[in-house]
Amino acid sequence: MTSYVEGSPVKALIVEDSAVETMILSAMLRKFHCEITKAKNGKEAVQMFLEGKKFDIIFCDKEMPVMSGPEAIEKIRALGEIHVKIVGVSVGDNAEEEFMRVGADEFLPKPMELDVVGAIIQEIIKKKKNNDTV
Amino acid sequence: MEYANLRRQAASLKRSLFDQGYLDEQFCQVEDLQDEASPNFAEEVVSLFFKDSARLVSNIEQAMEKYPGDFNRWDAHMQQLKGSCFSIGASKMNNECTLFRNSCGEENAEGCRRSFQKVKREHAILRQKLESYFQLLRQAGPARTATRSGGK
Repeated sequence: MTSYVEGSPVKALIVEDSAVETMILSAMLRKFHCEITKAKNGKEAVQMFLEGKKFDIIFCDKEMPVMSGPEAIEKIRALGEIHVKIVGVSVGDNAEEEFMRVGADEFLPKPMELDVVGAIIQEIIKKKKNNDTV
Repeated sequence: MEYANLRRQAASLKRSLFDQGYLDEQFCQVEDLQDEASPNFAEEVVSLFFKDSARLVSNIEQAMEKYPGDFNRWDAHMQQLKGSCFSIGASKMNNECTLFRNSCGEENAEGCRRSFQKVKREHAILRQKLESYFQLLRQAGPARTATRSGGK
């Protein structure tokens, strides 16, 4: 199921206030050899971008203390971060619409499935490989 | 073999947890994340879940006491607990969390109180059952691969 491509690992940022959900998603991403960074709320995530950190993908929860996922995504895109793939994640109603409105690329309902996460990561690996060979 | 017997007991307990609706397919997804690098991943996640959920239950209890009628606050706390339940496949707990949230939506304080008692009860039951399950697995030890028969 997993595939490994030589070169830099996919840099994933998990923005999630639930320790349990973070642990599960981290385990999924480790299966695909991702380099994982965690933020407990939207504000921490935005701060990382302000500090110049770069990521290939963000998995972002919706409801979080301090700053929500959609608010953080809006700010991250406003910083000019248009290339990072942003996946909104939630169990809530109308979450998909809200995420897409603020600039998310994709929405995944919770609970996430390994196959689905894997397909997204493989897509990024392929894109990185194509960029590397250009 | 004692190992095989313990494994059978663990499998039987797990099956009953599914049959009785305590767990759903998501629990299998969590167990499937176990590998050689993280052989006890499922137990670690469940342990974290119960530590976290105990805190969340306490938060809800305090919110209901300190902020009577503040259904938005109660709901926000319960949403966090529900999310965790969902992630590990704690189906019965998840259902009770939903009923609590429905009562919040209806501003039905008595409904919330009843549902909350059920959430706490299901939490305690699930904790006990999963502790038994993982204890059986620990006693059984790591899964042994089949070996060819032959003289030794």
